[in-house]
Amino acid sequence: MAASDKVQELHVYEMNERDRGSPAYLRLSQKPVNSLGDIVPFSNKIYRGDMEKRIGITAGMCILIEHKPELKGDRYEAIFSFYFGDYGHIAVQGPYLTYQDSYLAITGGSGIFEGVSGQVKLHQIVFPFKLFYTFYLKGIGELPEELLCKPVDPHPAVEAVPAAKACEPHAAIANFTN
Amino acid sequence: MASTTTSLKPIPSINLPSQSHRALASNFSYSKPFPFHGLNLSSVTETSSFTSSRSSNPFTTTAFFFNKFKQEAAPHTPKPAKVQELHVYEMNERDRSSPAVLKLSQKPVNSLGDLVPFTNKLYSGDLQKRVGITAGLCVLIQHVPEKKGDRYEAIYSFYFGDYGHLSVQGPYLTYEDTYLAVTGGSGIFEGAYGQVKLHQIVFPMKLYYTFYLKGIGDLPTELLGKPVPPSPAVEPSAAAKATEPHGSIPNFTN
Repeated sequence: MAASDKVQELHVYEMNERDRGSPAYLRLSQKPVNSLGDIVPFSNKIYRGDMEKRIGITAGMCILIEHKPELKGDRYEAIFSFYFGDYGHIAVQGPYLTYQDSYLAITGGSGIFEGVSGQVKLHQIVFPFKLFYTFYLKGIGELPEELLCKPVDPHPAVEAVPAAKACEPHAAIANFTN
Repeated sequence: MASTTTSLKPIPSINLPSQSHRALASNFSYSKPFPFHGLNLSSVTETSSFTSSRSSNPFTTTAFFFNKFKQEAAPHTPKPAKVQELHVYEMNERDRSSPAVLKLSQKPVNSLGDLVPFTNKLYSGDLQKRVGITAGLCVLIQHVPEKKGDRYEAIYSFYFGDYGHLSVQGPYLTYEDTYLAVTGGSGIFEGAYGQVKLHQIVFPMKLYYTFYLKGIGDLPTELLGKPVPPSPAVEPSAAAKATEPHGSIPNFTN
């Protein structure tokens, strides 16, 4: 079977553990409410969907597009990457709505993700600290077993297992991005 | 076989394209001359290599059926995509006011919040022709003290004059080589995908890139000269620097 036809799912948790100076909210609009002009660079940790392995980080930025007072939230345009240590990275672009789930475009990747296409579902669990992603990946070879898992169901109290948080060798991928 | 691929759920309320545009040609006209409505869908999927995400797609059963009658059918096992290598040099000649280091973090060390828009000149890999410019943004992610350098998330394009452009996204580490994703392109690069290797020769003035491009037609020979191996003293030819007609591509981006 051709690798490129197949859709492969990948589950990742993004966690802001408040130890990376992230996010950096740049209020360049100089307005008191979130406004077009504000830019938010960010970088958080990512874990495998079962929360048992530290994989790497996210890195990129959110561009504030519009505050939505009726929804008590904001629309951002997000451009960022997910880093998977020695495996490579996946680049994405699309909407980040603080008040509901969204799908972002997978724009490309490197390493085992070279040539990847598809989309990723962003599910926010606790704004803005815990997010759960489901990647629908096309155009790449079989994902390594190490990245695949039965994901933990997203819920507000979800946390990485202590070994993964501590990045112990058995609970982190090789050269996980940090 | 990984369990996730066999437990694929249909993706709710999203219009996924039924085929990756790269994987298959799709020139069928569904005139349906043959009575395939009696075809049992499950038997089709058992005898073919379609994934479960395709089992409800009438397009694929039609393709399977037509194959039996030796029609020109889109193959469901496409040939591996051709990879073309493209080499370019990015040079900061300090005449484009670049980079613009925006210390928006307001911290003395490089910190998340700092943004670095930039634009440099681009030369063909053989350093004989000026092709255009790079243009985009580096987002400082973190300072890496043990490597005496920084991690950026870079989002930018390479402009090749009348030929079009390539867009990339990925890591720029000031202390080591990286691979960025090729996210797309225009002109002759329309539909491009793949990755590009960034090799820094002299921080931040000279960089050498090797693109591994898929999804496009044959690159013009003008861009495929034998690349000069990267070294700290490399310089474009005098004609290229001066953008003389024979030292540049038509309407090189400036």
